Formats: sequence, C-alpha cells, structure tokens
Amino acid sequence: MTAVAVARPARFRPARALRLEIKHSPVAWTLPVLAVIFYLDTYRTATGLPPTWAYHASVITGHMLTYICVFGAGLAAWAGTREGRRKTGDLLATTARAAWTRKATVLAATAFWMVLAFLAETAVIYVQTAGQTTWGGPPLWPVAVGVVCTITACAIGFTAGTLFPGRFTAPIIAVAVFVLEFVGFKAVDDTYDFRFSGGSYAVLTPGQGLPHLVEAGVFYRIPPDVSIAQLIFMGGLLLVAAGLLALSPAARVPGVRGLSLAAAGGRALAVLAAAAVAGGVAASATAYSLAGTAQQSSLTGNWEIPALHDAASDRPVPYTPVCTSAAFPVCIHPAFDGYLDAVSAALQPAAAEVAGLPGTPVRAELAVDDALPAAAGTTSVYGYSGTGAGSIGGSWFGGPPGEVINAIWTQGYQQSFLFWFVSGPAQNASGNPDPAQQAVADALLAKIGAPAPDLAPPQKAGGPPVSQSGPAGAQASAAQIAAAASRFGSLSPAARRAWLTTHVAALRSGAITLAQIP
Amino acid sequence: MTAAGVETPPVPPVPPAPAAGAARPGRLAASAARLAWLHLRSRRGPAAIAALTACAVALRAVLHWQLTSGGAAAQQIPMIIEAGAAVVIAVTTHSPFGEAERTTGRWLPFLRLGAVLALTGAAIGLLQLGVTGVSLNDGVLTLARNVIGLTGIGLLTSLVTGGLLAWILPLGYVGFAEYALAEAWRNPWTWPARPPTDRGAWICAGAVFAVGVLAFALRGARARLADDA
Repeated sequence: MTAVAVARPARFRPARALRLEIKHSPVAWTLPVLAVIFYLDTYRTATGLPPTWAYHASVITGHMLTYICVFGAGLAAWAGTREGRRKTGDLLATTARAAWTRKATVLAATAFWMVLAFLAETAVIYVQTAGQTTWGGPPLWPVAVGVVCTITACAIGFTAGTLFPGRFTAPIIAVAVFVLEFVGFKAVDDTYDFRFSGGSYAVLTPGQGLPHLVEAGVFYRIPPDVSIAQLIFMGGLLLVAAGLLALSPAARVPGVRGLSLAAAGGRALAVLAAAAVAGGVAASATAYSLAGTAQQSSLTGNWEIPALHDAASDRPVPYTPVCTSAAFPVCIHPAFDGYLDAVSAALQPAAAEVAGLPGTPVRAELAVDDALPAAAGTTSVYGYSGTGAGSIGGSWFGGPPGEVINAIWTQGYQQSFLFWFVSGPAQNASGNPDPAQQAVADALLAKIGAPAPDLAPPQKAGGPPVSQSGPAGAQASAAQIAAAASRFGSLSPAARRAWLTTHVAALRSGAITLAQIP
Repeated sequence: MTAAGVETPPVPPVPPAPAAGAARPGRLAASAARLAWLHLRSRRGPAAIAALTACAVALRAVLHWQLTSGGAAAQQIPMIIEAGAAVVIAVTTHSPFGEAERTTGRWLPFLRLGAVLALTGAAIGLLQLGVTGVSLNDGVLTLARNVIGLTGIGLLTSLVTGGLLAWILPLGYVGFAEYALAEAWRNPWTWPARPPTDRGAWICAGAVFAVGVLAFALRGARARLADDA
C-alpha cells in the first residue's frame, strides 16, 4: 500500500479574483463617455453656480449621479448576463466555489469601477469648488448618498442581468433607471410647487436639484435628515437585490439550468439571503414612511424629518462678518466674500447721496436668510439681501461673482438702497412705494447715474417680473411721477438736502404727495 | 488487404430540375423572405419588436400619468424612451455567427440594411401608435428625428464595440442632450434639444443615421465582443 499525495484544493483568494475581474471589467470602455458627459454637463453646470458648498454639492446628486447610476445599472446588468451570454453556466456549476462568491466578485468589480468614477468626479467638483468658495467645507452626506446609490444601481442591474440573461437586458435596465430618475425629478419639482404643505415621498429621490435659497447651508446647516432617509431606502434596495442574487440559483430547477442550492452555498446562505430580502424590504418601507413625514422648515428652508431631526441643526451657524473700511461700511457673510467689493462699490455713491439725513444707516449688512430689511428710520443698519427679497432692484448672488456682477446688478443694489431709504414700514409690507417716494428715489438715483427701476413687488430671484399694481401705483401716472422726479432733481444739492432733512420722515410715512415735492 | 468488399454509399437521387419560367420567381421570393426572416430571428428581431412595444407602452404611460415636467422639460422622458427604442435596434446588430457568416453571406449587406430600416420604421410607428390620443410635446416629427439620429449613433457604435454594447454611446449622448435641452442649446448637433422644424437638426440627425446605416450595412457590427479581451 502506497501513500498517495492528495492535492488539497487551492484556497480561495477573493482579492486575486477581484483584481482579475476589475482588470477585465467592461466598465473601462465607458470611462471616456462618462468623462465627456461629466465635463459637458456636471462640470459646466457647477462653474456657473454661486460659490457655496451646498450649491456645488447639489450637482453631485442632481447631475452626476444620474448618468453614473444609468451606466452603473446597465453595465452591471451586462456583467450579470455574462454566464448566460457565454453559456458557461453548466461549466461553472462544476467548480468548487459557490456561485454567490463568483457573482459577488463580478458585481464588486463593476461597482468598484463605478464608485471610483463617482469619487473621482466628486473630487474634481470639490477641488473646483474649493477654488471658488471663501467659507465652509465640503458636504459629505451627498457623497455618502452617491456612493450607496451607485452600488445599489449596480446591484439592481446585476441581479436583473443574472435573472434575465438576454441581449436586451442591459440597455433596458439602463433606460429604465434613466426614466425612473427623471420621474423622480418631476416628483421633486411637484413637491416644491406645494412646499410648506406637508411631507413628501419625493425627498427619497437622490437628485433634489439646486437649493431654492442661495444661503442654503450658510446661515443654518443643512440637516442630514433627508440624506439618512435616502441611505436607508437605497440600503434596503441593495439588500433586496443582493438577497435575490444569492437566492437566484436556488430559484432555478437543479440540473436544468443554473446552479443547485448546494452549489449556491447551502441552506444557510438561502436563509441568510431570504433574511436580507426581508430586511431590505423593511428598511425601504421604513424610509418611505419616514419620507412621508418630511416637512420643509419655514425658518431654514430645509427639509426636516421629525423622527430623524436633530434640533441643534436649527441653530444659526456662528460666523464673523467681513466688512469694508469705506466711508459707508458694508459687511457680508464670509461665504459671500467674493461679492463684498462689488456691493460696497455699488452702495458708496448711494449712501453718500443721503449721508447725514435723518434715518441714514451707519452701515450695511447682508440680511440673514430671507428676511426683509428693517424699515428705514427705525434702524441704523441697512440689511441688504442676497436673494432679491425685499430688494426693488432684485440683485442677488445667483452665480459666481465674475459672471453676475455687471452694471445692472450694481444698479439693483443702488435702487434697493435708495427706495428703502425713502420708503417706510408700509412700503416694506406692501412692496410698493407711493408715487412721491418713487419720484424722490428716482431723482436720487438719477444723481448717481442709475436708472429708475421698473417697479415690481418684491419677488424671489428668478421669478417673472410683475407689473406695478397696488393702490399707491394706481394713483399717479408714470408721466406725473417722472415730472416730479425731474423737478426734484433739478433742485440744487443744498436745496434738495434741506427739503429731505425736513420732509423725509413725512415722506416715509406716506404723508407727502407728488404735488408737494418741490 | 483489398477494398473489394467496401460498398459505396448510395447516391441520393438528384431532384428534378425546376421547370424554367413560371415557378422560379415564386421560389425566389419565398427563399428571400425565408432568408430575411432567418436573419431577423438570428438578431432577435421578434424580441426587439416586443421591446419596442414595451417602449411604446412606457411612453404612453408617462404621458398618460403626466410624469413629465412642463415646458422644455416635457421632452426629457420621451427622449429617453426614444433612446430606448434606438438602443434596442442597435443591440439587434449583434450576430451570433461571427466571422463565419461574413465569409459566406453574399446578401448580408442587404439583409442588414433591410433589418435596420424595418426596425427603425417599426420603432417610429409603434411609438407614434403609443402616443395616439395623448399630447406628445413637439409631436411625431421630433420623435422620428430622435429615433433615427440615436439609431445612427448606435449603429456607428456597434462598429467599434460590437452590437451588444452599442447602447452605451446613444445613452451617453442622451445624457448630454438632457443638459442641452435644459440649457436651450441651439447647435444643430444637439438635435434632441431643437424644435421639430429646425432644418439643421434634421440634417444632423439624418446624416448620422445615413452614415450609420451605410457603414453598418457594409461592414456589420464588430464580431468580437468588446469585453472578450
């Protein structure tokens, strides 16, 4: 009797298998396409946004994630169809390794490439943002959502490809994900149309679009409520996809096609996979119900989910304003430091025109959030707006300083300041100066070389212009106002200043008529 | 050892020569039809028709339940579904026979040409049928232009990647076209973002389709799969 050396099966080395799959993954073919779309869509969009981290981070989930998920799902489905496409199912069924290890390796390789592409593009966006912003840091929640969403899309596509290994599976999955994402965008738009009216399930859509306030994440932190709900929801879908993938060999008839339950890893794996499916469904359902309770805060403008909300995030973020040392100091939040010189340059001539008059403010500050400035004569600080709220000119921080600052933008701040100065609490409430206030403001604007504004009630930036309406505007024609403005403007500076010193309080209270203007 | 005992196999009877004249055109037509049908089946033509029908149903559902945004954005989801129809056509270019078919198939260019034209026509017809009775933004002209242009991109892609991965570039182009639509680009080569009467957009889409169809008909999709390397 002789001893026969029995070769022990080689130990499974997942790292080597993963490296081989990564090397042969078809995703590499799509990287040039992803890079081109990234530049044309995401990068160009980000360069035209206001220089805040929240705004720039919104393109990660709103633009970039869209096509990353589309291609991730499609390519994962393509990878999932490989055994069916090459008809190697029976051959691989005879191997010693369980089917789920083989499939998981292929899925991991596909997800690796897609997550790598996502992180690389995110890094480019954040590096570009770091060069533009002056305050704050990169938000990490959108990155976490993006990574989980990418892996989930890959898992769903791979599972579909494994279960339905046909030539149409990959493109159909990719198109289906594409359509679902845009349906989600539509749901988000619909939700914002009815904001403040209650919760919405559309917050589960990763791409929430651009923040509706320029100051998003500046005065108040953006709470992670929605991101957490999205992570729970997509994590649930990921578990379901992974569970179905592990169950798929067991779902087939052994010996006919595919792998047997034993080859798939035995009963323990089947139980584990079933538990994953059940847990995933439960997690997604929980996130869905949480999303239904979401409400948009009237204070911060952010979505909040009560069960996930931390009240600490409602507190204002402390900051030290940045101010100019000009004759009329102008202060701004450091996040908008890039606009400071332009705002100061716009306000200096307007402030000089009314310097020394009763109620003249001693400095200007950026109004916190969406607040209207306090009425002239009641405060020593002029609160200018960066969103156009309360501003007759409607200038706002709607893009990078180099792109939005021009003559019209500058004149908007001058118009806002002088109209605010001659108007009182009533104008602050209604948004409409009376004809006398309008005539005086027009005359002062003419003195500093700014045109009279096309008056409209205060509106959010980007909104359509609204024609003048209201009782004050209806009482006098434009010609009468222009004549009074011309008359007042023809006075000598000393006479004009003397009349304003005496009458500005009455003018603000609405007691002056056009005929009383000298 | 001799071969005296070896019997020769029986010679099969030679079929009688067909009578010249009347029966020949009918047989030719039947053969051509059978050849075209076999070609379509080898490219999963029936499944492609089913997939195109599914696209039409999806388009109908999107419009019926008003899942699209208003304004220019109303074209976003229909554009994706039209791209879905185009990539289905592009994927049918894959041949399961590879080089063997190329060396023996004399009529292959005509079969490819006929198959692609038939499927493109079917796609436009089915999608239009799907939106009958509901309002499709920009109408059938934009639908047809998107389908033929994106199909052209898919056919050109199939020359490089093979038929099975020919969906990548059309979907990538649509991803960019969504951005062009949102930004109201005016270049003719962004034809999905242009109105149906834009002549330059039609020329671009038609040129891409013509080049794609001709190149595909003459050369066929790449036989070796892109991920076989």
